[in-house]
Amino acid sequence: MAPHSPGTDQIDTLLWIGFVAAAIVVVAINVALFAAVRRNRAERGATPRQVSGGRKIQFRVAAVLTVFAAVVFVVSIVFTDKARETPATGSAGLASADAAPLQIEATGQQWLWRYDYPNGSFSYYKLVVPVDTAVVLDLVSTDVVHTWDAPDLAGKRDAVPGKTNKVVFRADEEGHFMGQSASLSGQAYAAMQTEVEVVSPQAYEDFVKQQKSDIESAQERVVSLIAKGEVP
Amino acid sequence: MSDAPRPELVVDGFSEKARPRWIELATSADHKDIGRILIGGALGFLSIALLEMLLMRLQLAIPENSFLTPVTFNRMLSDYGATAVFLFAIPLVLGLFYYLAPLQIGARGTALPRLGQIGLGLWVAGATVLYAGFLFTPSEAGVNPLAPLTETAFLSSNGVDAWATTTGLATLGFVFIAIDLLTTIRNMRAPGMAWRRVPIFAWAAAVSSWLVLFIGPVLLAALTMLMIDRNYDGVFFADGSGGAPLLWQHLSWIFYSGAYVLILIFALGAIAEIVATFAGKPLFNRPAVMGSLAAIAVLGPLSWMQNMLTAPIGIGWMYFAMLMSLALIVPFGLIVFNLIATLVGGALRMRAPLLFAIGAISAISVGLGAEIEQSMVAAAWQLKNTTDATAATHFALVGGAVFGGFAALHYWFPKMTGRTMGESLARISFWTMAAGIVLAFVPLFLAGAEEGQVIDAYKFFGNTGVDAYNLIASIGTLVLAAGIVMTIVNAISSREGGPKAGHDPWGADTLEWFTLSPPEPHNFDVLPDVRSARPMRDIREAIAHSTSRAERQAAESQPVA
Repeated sequence: MAPHSPGTDQIDTLLWIGFVAAAIVVVAINVALFAAVRRNRAERGATPRQVSGGRKIQFRVAAVLTVFAAVVFVVSIVFTDKARETPATGSAGLASADAAPLQIEATGQQWLWRYDYPNGSFSYYKLVVPVDTAVVLDLVSTDVVHTWDAPDLAGKRDAVPGKTNKVVFRADEEGHFMGQSASLSGQAYAAMQTEVEVVSPQAYEDFVKQQKSDIESAQERVVSLIAKGEVP
Repeated sequence: MSDAPRPELVVDGFSEKARPRWIELATSADHKDIGRILIGGALGFLSIALLEMLLMRLQLAIPENSFLTPVTFNRMLSDYGATAVFLFAIPLVLGLFYYLAPLQIGARGTALPRLGQIGLGLWVAGATVLYAGFLFTPSEAGVNPLAPLTETAFLSSNGVDAWATTTGLATLGFVFIAIDLLTTIRNMRAPGMAWRRVPIFAWAAAVSSWLVLFIGPVLLAALTMLMIDRNYDGVFFADGSGGAPLLWQHLSWIFYSGAYVLILIFALGAIAEIVATFAGKPLFNRPAVMGSLAAIAVLGPLSWMQNMLTAPIGIGWMYFAMLMSLALIVPFGLIVFNLIATLVGGALRMRAPLLFAIGAISAISVGLGAEIEQSMVAAAWQLKNTTDATAATHFALVGGAVFGGFAALHYWFPKMTGRTMGESLARISFWTMAAGIVLAFVPLFLAGAEEGQVIDAYKFFGNTGVDAYNLIASIGTLVLAAGIVMTIVNAISSREGGPKAGHDPWGADTLEWFTLSPPEPHNFDVLPDVRSARPMRDIREAIAHSTSRAERQAAESQPVA
């Protein structure tokens, strides 16, 4: 994973902090454990002293553990709050998204993602967004729980029927980013991928315009075919 | 006293027809028989779960494999989840508690033996349904099948019904056993055994019983709603008719979080007994360990939303879940500290139980350490539902239920059978398992955290940087399974062929070692007065003292020449 959005930058830092916190715990326990075992084999010692421990040391250990947990808690909140901020659209971004972020609806359905753009056009599988632009994905689902996850751009979120979940990101460069659904949603779950294509604002405008006219002409064609009786 | 015959005591000439052993066992309400069936059954289902896990890992050994079809994989996954949790881990835990806790507190049986018997029957019925379901069509909905995938609109075959029946019957059985266990420990302790002197494993049993009494009904309620949804047009978990898919997640995760800490409470309780015995010391700071076990049982279910950090719930709830999860660091940390402090300054006899116990502490520490990162909200947005979560859960639960369970099995096997398990095979098994768990799950940590490989998927795509990780994990699973099978084989062959053990082979401190191995149906002929948390040590000292006094008296009474 390589972060390509302000949110994932924060997440990436927090992941490293979390890794260090976990490593401290694991290493401390295992080093103490194996040192205790090596030092105290039966053949080395005499009869063990029957110490059963005091209250003081318990409070000290508990205090250290509490401080550790509290630090992890506070640090996590700080980074989480930064990670979920909606970023501002940058200078290279879509001009119309300066005031409010670009709002796109992402619909999970077995086993494909559908994206509805503000101008009424839509696309399946592939999401096209302008670079350096704040994007808000409204996640909804028409059937079961799906999880939208493009790890380079944003943290994963569930699309649950009847609820709306939110993903915010601002892609920092043009390119392709793969995403994979992350909740078991039935047979073709493992193949339920999505692709985020980050393009220039101009290319984005062209894409949604083209998409809209393609969809409209296709619909007109179908309507005319039905009128002619060629499609039942 | 006259020597007149007392007819009510005459049993000669009254011979009940001896029934076959299996009928005796199947109809017995003795906690030791029920416990043994649960333990034996659990080990059997462990083998089945391993087989399912191996088949799934075989499918995931190489990218885009077509060894299993997606549907078969999902069925395997669903059955693996139900088997590992409801047919292996929880019954093993409750079986060991149910066999040993009454012995440890010096009870001659349990308070409500029929309840235990019904519990066992329900569990057997549940297990039968799952694998009768395997013959036609198992569930395809996964380990914790999230609504609304479980609604008939999406999975119309009766697999989900079979899954819900299995988990429901088994859970009801666990609740019954927990009621009996709790009543027994509450009311039938030996004279002098105050709560502060209750053996730590029996304390863990009492805490676990409370926990099961709380989380069991929560799952049963959820399963009832699911069955109404599926069979009587209910809408509890269906969107759009007043139902809420998220309700299932809340209820089921309360149960699963509770079951997770249940397994760890059991493991830590057993490890505490073993560590104290093999170090030749009392458990370091017992009151703190007892309090911490209780705290874990409270905080565990309260951290249920830690599993829902990507769901559409408010950020405040996410922080609440994180707070509860991180609060668990304190009791878990205190217990591990005290376990290690018990080892320090001891005279460690490195026998198989201690080896497995140390392995369990180590594995659990990795699992819980990784769980810290899983509960840091923004980090969880990246790590949830990746193989990092699989690895974290498996390190903790394989560490708790398999390493911890095997530590307990090796430790109490002489009590249950009168024979010790083969030591050299135990060692080989342990080191194989230790290599296996590292090889099987460390690569999954990396695949999940670095590349975001998702869980539960029947395939992964090549050139995504996870090929090598998955291949190593598959080989590691095979190694782990081989190690586990060795201990199962060891247990089976040692039942008749192991070295004979006396009533107290380890020189332990708790009361179960006071009686015969295996114990008589009534457990104890006589009971000592309990004066401390280490009654067996008191008895050994009293015997040593009286022997030396007798020798001294004998020496003093020598006629002076």
